[in-house]
Amino acid sequence: MIDATMGKDAARAEWDNPMQFVLACVSYAVGLGNVWRFPYLCQMHGGGGFLIPYMLMLVLLGVPLFYMELAIGQKMRLGSIGAWRAISPYLGGVGMASVVTSMYLCLYYNVINAWSFWYLFHSFQSILPWAECPANSNLTGPVEECERATPTQYFFYRETLDISGSIEENGGIHMGQALCLLLAWIIVYLFIVKGVKSTGKVVYFTATFPYLVLIIYLIRGVTLHGAINGVKYMFTPKMEQLAKPTTWINAATQIFFSLGLGFGSLIAFASYNQYNNNFEKQAIVVSMVNSGTSIFASIVTFSIYGFKATFNYESCLERVRLLLLNTFDLAEDTISLENVNHWIAELNRTHPEQFASLGGRLETCDLEAELDTAVEGTGLAFIVYSEAIKNMPVSQLWSVLYFIMLLLLGMGSMLGNVIAVITPLSDLKFISVLSYPVGLVCLFCLLLGLGFTTRSGNYWFTMFNDYGATFSLLFIVLIEVITVCYIYGIKRFEKDVEDMLGHRLNWYWKIMLAGVSPILLIALFIFYIVNYIQGGTPTYQAWNKELGKSVVTEYPPYAQAFIGLLLASSVCCIPLTALYTYCKKRNLASGKRERTVSTVSL
Amino acid sequence: MLVRILVLLYLAGAPALAQTLCQPNASNGYRVRISIKTALGNQAYEWNENEMFLFRATMAFAMRRCYKTETYNVDNIIVCNQTLRVSFWFVVTSPENSTMLIPKADVEKAVSMSRHRINNAFLLTDRTLEFLGIHPTLAEPVNPDTPPWLIVFGVVIGAVFAGIIALLVSSLLQKRRKEKGMMEDGQDEEDMQVKGVENGNVLDGIYNRGFTDDDRFTKL
Repeated sequence: MIDATMGKDAARAEWDNPMQFVLACVSYAVGLGNVWRFPYLCQMHGGGGFLIPYMLMLVLLGVPLFYMELAIGQKMRLGSIGAWRAISPYLGGVGMASVVTSMYLCLYYNVINAWSFWYLFHSFQSILPWAECPANSNLTGPVEECERATPTQYFFYRETLDISGSIEENGGIHMGQALCLLLAWIIVYLFIVKGVKSTGKVVYFTATFPYLVLIIYLIRGVTLHGAINGVKYMFTPKMEQLAKPTTWINAATQIFFSLGLGFGSLIAFASYNQYNNNFEKQAIVVSMVNSGTSIFASIVTFSIYGFKATFNYESCLERVRLLLLNTFDLAEDTISLENVNHWIAELNRTHPEQFASLGGRLETCDLEAELDTAVEGTGLAFIVYSEAIKNMPVSQLWSVLYFIMLLLLGMGSMLGNVIAVITPLSDLKFISVLSYPVGLVCLFCLLLGLGFTTRSGNYWFTMFNDYGATFSLLFIVLIEVITVCYIYGIKRFEKDVEDMLGHRLNWYWKIMLAGVSPILLIALFIFYIVNYIQGGTPTYQAWNKELGKSVVTEYPPYAQAFIGLLLASSVCCIPLTALYTYCKKRNLASGKRERTVSTVSL
Repeated sequence: MLVRILVLLYLAGAPALAQTLCQPNASNGYRVRISIKTALGNQAYEWNENEMFLFRATMAFAMRRCYKTETYNVDNIIVCNQTLRVSFWFVVTSPENSTMLIPKADVEKAVSMSRHRINNAFLLTDRTLEFLGIHPTLAEPVNPDTPPWLIVFGVVIGAVFAGIIALLVSSLLQKRRKEKGMMEDGQDEEDMQVKGVENGNVLDGIYNRGFTDDDRFTKL
């Protein structure tokens, strides 16, 4: 059995130096998840205490699997489809499943970059558009939807997305979003059109500049008023959270997705390496850098969180103070922000009837409650962060810096996603007949991605985000590990690694790859299935413009069917390809018996 | 004698009459709330009789500005019920008949028209000098011809297109240089530099499948 890419082997492109490869992996692995998912998990699962399961999962699951993917890519020198077919012809479908999952990711991930562009372009104004509510048509007050929600939410849901009330209500394409998406795809195309020659140069910038911005933000963040509240809140460990199994599950999944395992990007990157490149050291370095960045980013996030929570708390106190002054007609300097609570008790005692007339207008201001509002994902990046930024002095500068950083993180990850699709496709013989595969893939993804810029597009985006890659990846990586360790054989893998690196596999790698990681993966897989079944009908958050907040809504039946399709389409590549190869082999074998001369055929 | 008594009675009664005209929750009166310390902080001035006089004068000015036919005076603005908060009620009487109050809507019109001038007289804003019941008219939103974000977008996409053109030109030049090189050498050129996936494989010759590289599958 011959693999399809013989001729290409001699002339395969390579990174200019190993540093480019490391930076490409860092740029791919360090993405938006480090900035918005890890801080959220840290907050949900007991602050500083979450680092324990996180580090443990990194050592047990993350680094060995990362090592394995790099080894495969570097050894086979092919994209994911060719590489897995070479390892075991029946399991070539693993590569196919990776490509399908990466394709889904490509479709929706660039929409986040489009939003970053949109916010970036809107930062060049004297007043940030999400700082204040726009006036309504009579000029008597702010727009009602904006008043019920906050200006930042209004800007995101109404002006950026023009979101409809539910996934069923479609609408036209938002032209601004479509333009930004077009720009994002053109830039991605430019970065990868020349293969690793161009990508190698680009990653110098996309991997390093975000750190510069993070450092600047760290300095700005910790000097903000109230930042210390957030940092203290994050680092106070709540050890009782460690007893809950979801903490450990979330730590494992975070490591897993943060490193980008299973998409085929790592295999693709490593396939452009020199044969004897020392990927062992690089695997450890990249994993450590990725986790370190997560922790670093969460310090920044929490100092900004603390600032926002303190600002809101003090605004709340100010409103209560004004309310008391106005109701009881006291002189302005009698109540200050510090003694508001004292005065509430005092006035309740001395003027009970008048106090009762305040009724529901008297708010309770609680700093803990403000800090407790944990938000993750696009909500954190685009709503919470922009709310904090608008209150900083010279907010335009911070806004521009922040969205450039988001763009670079997102672009870096996009590079990996698109290369994961293009490398195996260009390795296949029939694709080289088509000229410009890169352009066609980008164009195809752009046209389909326009669907996410419609009025209900954000709901489809959330669906893809939640279901497109999570379950299939677990399955893919599980099959990968079992294939390499048991079907290909850990002994053969050991010999390959020795061939490349010059020394044998350490006992650590052997134990982790053959024993611990598969067990952990199976446990994760079972947990996911159980959770999905127990969760009932899948739901999503629909934005209600009358209430000015998100409401939990169930997916309609056709959307649920689509979720099933998403999950099934990538996963069933594996059994289908296995079946196909088996049938082909049987036909070949029966064909061989009939002919006297056996010809080597594809 | 009788005239003198009548004059004395009138002078004594007038303020009392004025007081009955101005009352909290009067139907034609407005409540004003002033927050000087919030607006000015350390540079806050004290609210005293002089400031009150300025307020009455400003209100008279506002009425004159709005209804240009009549001549209002400080006496036409009656203030009462001042509190420590610095809030008070005021009513406006007609210049011809000091017992007749100007209706609420007319007062509102005058205040809205001169709101900016009234605020400036006291170094305050719409939020710190409140007329309870009169909504401030928000500033007309500035609508530029081209939204500013589109300008920045245009700049960025212009730069990107310049990049694309540079790319095309450089690859064109490279191709032309390669052709020239082939014509001069007159022999098959080794593939020195991979052009990446865009242009595919440029190997010359046919790969001899007899020498299959199957080392990766079976190791001896």
